[in-house]
Amino acid sequence: MHEYSITKSIVELCHQEARKHKIGQVKLIRIRLGRFTGFSPAAINFYFDYLKRGTRCENARIEFFEIPIRIKCPACNFTGEIVEPVFICPECGKPDIEIISGREFYVESIEGE
Amino acid sequence: MKINVLKPVLVSNQERAKENRKFFDRYNSLVLNIIGAPGSGKTSVIENIVKKLKSSYRILVIEGDIKGSLDSEKLMKTGIDTIQINTITECHLDAFMISQALPKINKPYDLIMVENVGNLVCPAEFDIGEDFKVAILSTPEGDDKPVKYPLLFHRARVVIINKTDLLPYVDFKIKNARKNILAKNPRTMIFEVSARNGKGFDKLINFLKKELAKKK
Repeated sequence: MHEYSITKSIVELCHQEARKHKIGQVKLIRIRLGRFTGFSPAAINFYFDYLKRGTRCENARIEFFEIPIRIKCPACNFTGEIVEPVFICPECGKPDIEIISGREFYVESIEGE
Repeated sequence: MKINVLKPVLVSNQERAKENRKFFDRYNSLVLNIIGAPGSGKTSVIENIVKKLKSSYRILVIEGDIKGSLDSEKLMKTGIDTIQINTITECHLDAFMISQALPKINKPYDLIMVENVGNLVCPAEFDIGEDFKVAILSTPEGDDKPVKYPLLFHRARVVIINKTDLLPYVDFKIKNARKNILAKNPRTMIFEVSARNGKGFDKLINFLKKELAKKK
């Protein structure tokens, strides 16, 4: 449900970028989405179809690229990917780990003419 | 033509949250973003905190609800100031909604408690300018909730386990809950309370007093 305001931000951001770079019609929006965020691409697409009307994104579609959750363990220096957000080092079992990636949510690029 | 944008989608919220933080810092207010499921006892926990702290601290509660003002009316009876925000369609409070309420704050407060919309998912995503997030987990919800809603329990600095008076009647094991919470964030402070009978609040109040002192 919180994707409504988020999608609105995406449309506004892409519309403004398109205007800045003199793109009349955006065709493609590439979004990078970390796996450790609570946003659903399906819900964003649902609102996008409605919110894009009347903007430079009217004929655009969104492509999502997932970013895996990567962690670093300061204790044993393990660096790697985890599937579930359980914050325990898979190598040494220490609970104090750093999240390197997986929280990202940004518009990578827009394409159009 | 391809344009590299590389801009975060939440950027405007983060910027507004930073401004809100500046506003709160003017009076060195301690600001808590209180998040929990509908019926977890957010308002009742706040009521208990207010009762114990209102004689020594200036307290404001900002109430976020989709509709209505039942909670702020309830809290006004305790004699403190409240501000009601109705989100209408939104399932969470964001930094913009809080910034719109700021002009109503015309005196200094030591403690500002923001009661977010009842929801374990969306409010966890949005920084509103708080010092830290407080998650409320009530025993009838089950001790597995930190597993199901990892983001909130990762980001909350404090978790309050509420309705401990119901422990004999529900399948909730404090031990499991603690394990699940700490797996999401090993630094989380966990407090066990019953807002109904007031048990367990002393430790929480001591912790809050220390946090309030750090602000001064």
